[in-house]
Amino acid sequence: MMKRLLSVIVFVLLVVQSMRAQQYDLLLKGGHVIDPKNKIDAEMDVAVSAGKIAQVAKNINAKNAKQVIDVTGKYVTPGIIDMHVHAFNGADVDSYIANGLTSLPPDGFTFRAGVTTVVDAGSSGWRNFRQFKKQTIDKSQTRVLAFLNIVGTGMYGRFEEQDTSDMNPQQAAWMIKKLYPDIIVGIKSAHYWGDFTQVDKAVQAGNLANVPVIVDFGEHDPPNSIEALFMQHLRPGDIFTHTYSYGPKVRETVVDENQKVKPFIFKAQQRGIIFDVGHGGGAFSWRQAVPAVQQGFLPNVISTDLHSQSMNGGMKDMSNVMSKFLALGLSLNDVILRSTWNPAQVIKRPELGNLDVGAEADIAVFSIRKGDFGFLDIRNTVLKGTQKLETELTLRAGKVMWDLNGLAAQPWENELKK
Amino acid sequence: MKNRSAYTSKIRNRHRTIERIKLLIVLMSVAAYAPAQQYDLLIINGHVIDPKNKIDAVLDVAVADGKIAKLATGIDSLQSKKIIDAKGLYVVPGLIDMHTHVFVGSKPGTFADGMYSVSADDFSFRSGVTTMVDAGTSGWQNFPLFKEQVIDHSQTRILAFLNIFGTGLSSGQAIKDISTINEDSTVAIMQRYRDLIVGSRIGHFDGSDWTPFNTALDAATKMNEPLFVECHLPQYSLRDQLKKMRPGDIITHSYEEITERLPVVDSSGKLHSFVLDAQQRGVLFDVGHGGAGFWFSQAVPAFQQGLAPNTFGTDLHRFSMNAGMKSILNIMSKYLNLGMSVNDVVTRASWNAAKALKHEELGNLSEGSVADIAILNLQHGSFGFVDAGGKRLSGDKKLEAELTIRAGKIVWDLNGLSAQPYQR
Repeated sequence: MMKRLLSVIVFVLLVVQSMRAQQYDLLLKGGHVIDPKNKIDAEMDVAVSAGKIAQVAKNINAKNAKQVIDVTGKYVTPGIIDMHVHAFNGADVDSYIANGLTSLPPDGFTFRAGVTTVVDAGSSGWRNFRQFKKQTIDKSQTRVLAFLNIVGTGMYGRFEEQDTSDMNPQQAAWMIKKLYPDIIVGIKSAHYWGDFTQVDKAVQAGNLANVPVIVDFGEHDPPNSIEALFMQHLRPGDIFTHTYSYGPKVRETVVDENQKVKPFIFKAQQRGIIFDVGHGGGAFSWRQAVPAVQQGFLPNVISTDLHSQSMNGGMKDMSNVMSKFLALGLSLNDVILRSTWNPAQVIKRPELGNLDVGAEADIAVFSIRKGDFGFLDIRNTVLKGTQKLETELTLRAGKVMWDLNGLAAQPWENELKK
Repeated sequence: MKNRSAYTSKIRNRHRTIERIKLLIVLMSVAAYAPAQQYDLLIINGHVIDPKNKIDAVLDVAVADGKIAKLATGIDSLQSKKIIDAKGLYVVPGLIDMHTHVFVGSKPGTFADGMYSVSADDFSFRSGVTTMVDAGTSGWQNFPLFKEQVIDHSQTRILAFLNIFGTGLSSGQAIKDISTINEDSTVAIMQRYRDLIVGSRIGHFDGSDWTPFNTALDAATKMNEPLFVECHLPQYSLRDQLKKMRPGDIITHSYEEITERLPVVDSSGKLHSFVLDAQQRGVLFDVGHGGAGFWFSQAVPAFQQGLAPNTFGTDLHRFSMNAGMKSILNIMSKYLNLGMSVNDVVTRASWNAAKALKHEELGNLSEGSVADIAILNLQHGSFGFVDAGGKRLSGDKKLEAELTIRAGKIVWDLNGLSAQPYQR
């Protein structure tokens, strides 16, 4: 009698155990995980459940997952964060970037490059942010966050961006603090033909809302001093974008005419100024980037400045820009750090850019393609490289959004007779 | 003595002048015989595939003033301002995508002026495409907006089939309301914009009344242009649709396996003979891959039993761009791995499409044609291709776009073939 009871109990326990074992929705097996926040750079399995990272460990039992994807030989990273894009696409043919044709709908560019989060770089200001949110942010599968332009109408046109009477730090700050603290991560200052007025207003807003400022600083003739910008006007945590730009007429460069990184650049970075790539259609030149990296000046954040004038030029997409930094000699770990955990910290969103257990399952899987590749800057100068990142799989909140070679697909029964 | 030095000076000056004149004569002669740089661009060493002219050989291609200037072996490099070495690559006419939805706008939940369409330039050049044909996203009421808002601002050439419904694809799904159909207005718009509109289109109609189909067919007939027959016509049988279609009319989503239309291959794996008969009679079959329009379980047996697609329309839109479809090159690569040759796939993605659209000035590399050119790289390796059913076909060949030229201008350069090397 006792024996029978015991065997029934054991049987019930086994059944319950086997039911509980089917606990993961998805298991990425056999990949090389690079998770800079958690200092992981090793072969690990990654399990996903209910849209979140459930476990990152060696040899997770495949039987515990409903779907297993073999990622042997590939790199598994947090979903990439592109911290500088223009996504406020719209049909106003008179507008430049705000609700205009120069901005791009993000979903066509992100997942295919491993990107799961983009940060719009001031396409909108407080006057048109709500339209941006309704039209783009709420409708995108990519997570879209935003820097709010200090100019109320955002990037409608260069002329409008000069209007100091439409630079309202208090309004901008209220929009962040009171209305959209989860979406707006900072303030943008850009395209200003004058002195430091616009930057100072942006910093005012940044102080009121306790958010960083990102600056595109280079349309003044003669150029404004970037040393003054870094040391006197910006605060630690503020961001300088288009770091490797070579104007040089109206924009002071980081590398001087003798190919030397200016000493105050290192000091500024040590002070806490964040240097963003912001590649764009006009802001990345090998004659700046190569000597800079050789002399140990690396960007804090890698980003695309995605818009219609960069998408088909030397920039192309985020994985191409990341590959450029591999060609410059950075390790894959260094590149991933600057495309995930660093930007997450800069925008003060530490729940992003990592594979913490419990984090939203935004994951990228890359392979490194070997061959003979050329990487173009915006001056149509090419630097050769032997490696290129190719995005195999991208997950957003646990859902497969991009699958280059059908890793997540079932083989079709091939009836072809060879 | 003074006279003598003055005399010597004079002689010396005369001597100098004569030397200068001699030098001038020499320079002018050299200039007269030096070759003029008559070409803007010269693509050398590429394997040229130009189906219209039955060219499939290694040749040089010269471009001047936005047009194809010459195709020949050994064109003198000195004659061109810029040289592109296409060794190991295919040089083909700029690809033509027969089936796209590019009337992009900010309206949510819709294709016409909406978020379900995509912007042509975002996808074209990186896939070797220079012409996209919009598949009836607009109708007679909103074609002018399509032109003003999208076509006129696009670097990609955009042509369009006009939807027989006046507002085009303005809801997400099939409709029953035929009140926006107006044949006269449709024909008027087709005439006014005959450079851009290539035919009429029927699709997304829930009713059993054949009026919409017949009207679209009538409008196309009046304009001597093809009819493009799309999806979501659940009450029209495939057999009836094909019966009404004339040679040159185009049916799309040829290889779909969904409930709303009889699949071309039956459940025992046999291609319906009436389908093959239609193609043999001249009806054109477009892939129209889309998010739901291409299934290996249809495409492979159909291909094996003789129903090869005539054109490789992608049905590019928000729901296909990131799915199994991806790009026209991905579709071409699927067919390479099913046994087509590079020439076969290039033909379907260029010359066949141009002929179907009755735009025979496109899709070829004839001298004088617009210089829309794609340079493609055939990769060898281990690849997977996905269909609408989430099934994978493995393959060892894949095409990628190295360089794309639109009207003689380089609009995509993957690895810097046209660039100067960085000098450290």
